[in-house]
Amino acid sequence: MQRAVVRWDDLVQEHRVHRSLYTDPSVFAEEMIKVFGGTWVYLGHETEIPKQNDFVTRRLGLRPIILTRGGDGRVHALLNRCSHRAATVCRQSEGSARHFTCGYHGWTYSNTGELVSVPGEDAYAPEFHRSNYDLAKIPRLENYRGFIFGTLNRDAPALVDHLGTARPLIDQWLDRFPGAEIIVRSAAHRMVMRANWKLVYDNAGDGYHPPFSHRSLLRMTARRYGTDRDMSYFGTGDPDDCRMYTQSLSNGHTFFDQRLEMHADSAWRRQRPQPGREAYEAQLRERLGDEEANRLLEVAVGSGMNLNIFPNLLIIGNQIQVVEPLTVDRVQVTWYATTLSGVPEEINVLRMRTQEDFPNFGEVDDAANFEACQEGLGIPELEWIDISRHLHTGREMVDEQGIVTGPASDDIHFRAYYKEWKRLMSAELNLTIK
Amino acid sequence: MRLDRQFSELGDPPIKNVEEECERLIKCEARLIDTGDFEQWLALFTHECLYWIPARRGGDPRREVALEFHDRRRLEDRIARLRTGSAYSQIPPTRTCHLLSNIEIFVVEANEVGARANFVIHTSRLTVQRALAGWCGYVFAQEDSGWKITLKQVNLLDSDRGQENNSFFL
Repeated sequence: MQRAVVRWDDLVQEHRVHRSLYTDPSVFAEEMIKVFGGTWVYLGHETEIPKQNDFVTRRLGLRPIILTRGGDGRVHALLNRCSHRAATVCRQSEGSARHFTCGYHGWTYSNTGELVSVPGEDAYAPEFHRSNYDLAKIPRLENYRGFIFGTLNRDAPALVDHLGTARPLIDQWLDRFPGAEIIVRSAAHRMVMRANWKLVYDNAGDGYHPPFSHRSLLRMTARRYGTDRDMSYFGTGDPDDCRMYTQSLSNGHTFFDQRLEMHADSAWRRQRPQPGREAYEAQLRERLGDEEANRLLEVAVGSGMNLNIFPNLLIIGNQIQVVEPLTVDRVQVTWYATTLSGVPEEINVLRMRTQEDFPNFGEVDDAANFEACQEGLGIPELEWIDISRHLHTGREMVDEQGIVTGPASDDIHFRAYYKEWKRLMSAELNLTIK
Repeated sequence: MRLDRQFSELGDPPIKNVEEECERLIKCEARLIDTGDFEQWLALFTHECLYWIPARRGGDPRREVALEFHDRRRLEDRIARLRTGSAYSQIPPTRTCHLLSNIEIFVVEANEVGARANFVIHTSRLTVQRALAGWCGYVFAQEDSGWKITLKQVNLLDSDRGQENNSFFL
C-alpha cells in the first residue's frame, strides 16, 4: 500500500501529471475499480425511468448495471450478471420489464433483483436457496433532486456531503426557470473518441482552450453573424480578459462559469440562429406577449454553466454529459438532452435545436484535439503533461467555504480533480457488492 | 477516345423523366460530398430544405435531439465552418466513398417525389477506416426550372449508439 502512494505522488504532481495515466492499461484497470467504485458515480436521472417497471442499462466503470424502477416504485441498481454463469440478463438499452430472464439457462429475476425461478431447481443441493442467488446490487444508491448516484464504497460520505459546495450550483442549474422540472427523455448524442477518458474530463473545466480549439466555430459565427454572438466573449486575445472564472469545489468537483458574459443581457438575442428560431419566437410573442416570451426564450439557450462532478458527470449548457470510459484509449461521451416541464412546446423545440448546436459545431473539434493528444502521449520518452497555469500568479482566491476561484484559463480544474483521483487511487477502499 | 476525363463534371443525363432525374440527383448529391464540393452540393437542395440525421428511428425532432437537424442556414453555417481553415475535426478531411443501392422512387404528392435508398459510406481519415451503413429517405420538389432535394433524412443503422467523427456530410 505504501508503495502505491509513493507511486501516485510521483506520477501526479501539482504542476504536472505523467503520461502513463492516459496510456497504461493497468492504470486504467485500477481506475475502473477504485475511481469508478470508490466514490459516488452518476448513473442516471430518475425521469429516465418514470413508471413502474421501466429500466435503462448503464455501466459503473466497466460493470454493466440495470437501473430499474421496481414494482415498489423505488429505483434499484442491479449488477447485470446472472448469478449462475455470469451472462448479462438484460440486453436492451431501455424498456419496461417486470422480470429479467437469462437467455442462457432461463434463470428469472424480478426487476428488484430477486431470483424468482430456476428451471429444474430440484437438481441442486437441498441447501440451495434462491435467495442466495439474487442479482447483486450496488450497495449504496442515493438521489439528489433526480440525479441518481451509486457507489460500492460503504465508507463514502452521504451524497449531499460528497457534493458539498457543488450542491448549490446543481440547484442553480435546476432552478433556472422556477417551477419547471428537468426531464431527461429526449435522446442523446453519443460520441466515441479514441482518447483516454480523462482527456474529456480535463477539457470540461479548461477555460483556456475555447478561442483556439473552437476557432472554426468562432470564426464562422463572426463572419456570418457578427462579433456580438454566443461565445464571442471568448475573444481572440488574453483568455483571462473576461468576467468568466473557474472554481475548485468540494471533493474534486469544479465549475467554469460563463454566465456573466453569456447571460450579461440576453443570451437569446445573441444565440446563433437555430432552425425554426424566427417562427417559434413570433408564435410565442404573439400568444404570450413580449415580457413573458423574453423570460421563456432565455431558457431555450444554454445555462452558461459547466459544472463538473467528479468523475463522470458534466453538466454543460442544458445537457447532462456523461463520461463513459471504454478502454485506456477509448471513451464514449453521452450528451443527454433535457426538456422542461410546464413550459410552452416552442421552448422545448428550441431547446432541442440549441442542444444540437455545440455537439455539432464545437465538440467535434475538441474530440479531434483529444485524439491528437492521445497520439502525442504515445511517445514514451516525453513523459509529462503540464497543468501549472496560474499556479504561481497569486490570482486564486479562497472563500470561507473553501471554494477556490481563479481566472478563466486557470488549470485549477486539473489540480483539483487529480487531488481527488490520487486520494481514491491511494486509499484502502472497502468496496463490496451485496 | 478521350483519356483525360476526370468524372468531376458528368454532363447532362440522357433521359429526362422524373424517376431518372431523381435517381440522378441522389447519385450526384452523394458524389459531390465525396468530392468535397459542398457549395455545389447545397445547390442541389431547394431554398427551404432539411438535412436530418435522427438520433433514434422515428424520433420526433420537436421532442428529441437529432444527431443533426439543419435547415439551409445551418447547412451554410456548417460549410462555412469547414471552410475556416481551423475546423480541426476535418483537418485533414475525412475521405468518403458513398455507395447507394436498393433505390426506390415513388410519388409523394402531386408535385413531390420521394426516394429511399440504402447506403454504405466508406471513410478514411488519418489511420482510421470505417464503414457507415443505413438508408436515406429523400423528398424532391420542383423549384426554378428543375427538380431539387427538399429533404434528406439519413438513418444510420446505429444512430442510437456511439458515433465517431462524422463531422463531414453523410
